[in-house]
Amino acid sequence: MTTADYAILPEAFADLAPLAARWSRPTENERNALRFAARAPDFAAFHDAMAPRLDALLAYLAQCPAEPVETPQRNALMLACAYAEAAPHHELYAGNSEVPFSFDARRFVPDHGDEAL
Amino acid sequence: MPMPQTAASLDHIRRTIPQIREELGTGPVSVNAIRDPAIYALEQERIFKKVWLKVATAWELPDAGDYKVKELPVADTSILIVRGKDGRIRAFHNVCTHRGNKVVPNKGFETYGRARAGVVTCRFHGWVFGTDGPLKSVPMEDAFGQLDKGCLGLREIACDEWEGFVFINFDPAPAQTLAAYLGDFGTLFGGYPYRESTTAFRYSTVLKCNWKVALYAFSEGYHVPTIHAGSLPGFRGIEHSDFKLIGPHASSTIFGAGMDTAPSTQTFAGVLHGSDNHGPRPDLLPADINPARRGDFQFEIPNIFPNLLIHLASGCGYPGLSYFTHQFWPLDHGTTLWEGINYFRPARNAAERAAQMHVNALHRNAWLEDTATMEDTFTGIMSGAIDDMQLMDQEFLIRHAALTLDSYLAGAKQ
Ligand code: FES
Ligand SMILES: [Fe+2]
Repeated sequence: MTTADYAILPEAFADLAPLAARWSRPTENERNALRFAARAPDFAAFHDAMAPRLDALLAYLAQCPAEPVETPQRNALMLACAYAEAAPHHELYAGNSEVPFSFDARRFVPDHGDEAL
Repeated sequence: MPMPQTAASLDHIRRTIPQIREELGTGPVSVNAIRDPAIYALEQERIFKKVWLKVATAWELPDAGDYKVKELPVADTSILIVRGKDGRIRAFHNVCTHRGNKVVPNKGFETYGRARAGVVTCRFHGWVFGTDGPLKSVPMEDAFGQLDKGCLGLREIACDEWEGFVFINFDPAPAQTLAAYLGDFGTLFGGYPYRESTTAFRYSTVLKCNWKVALYAFSEGYHVPTIHAGSLPGFRGIEHSDFKLIGPHASSTIFGAGMDTAPSTQTFAGVLHGSDNHGPRPDLLPADINPARRGDFQFEIPNIFPNLLIHLASGCGYPGLSYFTHQFWPLDHGTTLWEGINYFRPARNAAERAAQMHVNALHRNAWLEDTATMEDTFTGIMSGAIDDMQLMDQEFLIRHAALTLDSYLAGAKQ
């Protein structure tokens, strides 16, 4: 899999392909690494493109199994999960890639960190 | 005739604030048990090697042969928790009776695996043990001259379950059964379908602080409007009340009128709130938790002595979150392994899964705000600048835990 493969989305969301290539990753550790490296304008751009589409994306995913096998479905889930992780950094943390006034997130170890969606 | 169990049966554990003040006092509480490194050896002997400790859940080990190895430096040992062919979960020292090697090698503080054919084999010389403990076979057995295999099974540790939470007790003859040790806590929290919430997100970190600093930081709601101003903005009407004292344990309720939920959070939350599987289910709460069934209930926060918190929310607090647990494992006087686990019911579609990821991320972020204080607090206490903590009503779980700790350290009969 290359990041271009993550951009293969269901037709209705094909316009989000560049965002998917930029943000979608199968594991929490990979999504976190992208998040730590992102800056306020990155979060803002992701938010501005996704916020108006989130309802539709979730409505689509509600028709998909929890563990999608088909590539476009799985990529749609990956994009939603990438946004799930990134959105608070625009909406709550003023574009900061870290949670402000927090413990070093790199020292938090998720058991599931390398499990792929 | 025995009285029927009713919602009123736990009234004796409830306390008003004046009663709490009367019973636990209002004065400053010494930080000595946190500061003095010599206390740690006493804690090991009189608490961690004597009382029941939660080490696993039954649903982590669903099938015969499933095991978990857990490193417990606080008891100077590694333990093997394994489901036998008979379906029972047992705990053993992960120590080979030949010469002491680990029977199941492990990486990190927790390792999972599955024993094949109901046995585990020590890699050093190949001694084979049943998952129920007995020594089954020894390579070149004749060459030992004499070997009483019947006495050389894995060294078993007392192990019992409450609501699918697996507890062990290192005392070879525990003073109390698990049920007696939990006492009214078992009733207060009993009956909730914990085992249905098998989707778990576990985070851990090693903190440079005494374990009680971490425990205490997660034991009160006083900090929410300040520490969590970032992740829980505009938290309104927070109320920490409905205090209960339960022997060495205690509990209380967090109510909250709401917060300034971010727009995306509202959208993700809608997926979970709209589902009868994940939405708020106050009806599933045990009868004595939020007995008035107040709509602003967030979660019940207990302290199960010595090192376990089970926050029971039933979807009423963080969207879709069934409950979450914290544990604080001392590694030495000034080092603690913290474990936080979020439990959800399994997602039935991909939208629910994404929404759970969002809620999990938000809650993890709040935990990052909580843990930010711990090493600084410990450094402050170790500086010697303060001898006491000043505790307000909502910090009564801390006051109670500190008093309980003192009584165990003093060797009081429990
Ligand atoms: S130490 Fe285990 S077989 Fe020798
Ligand atoms: Fe907190």
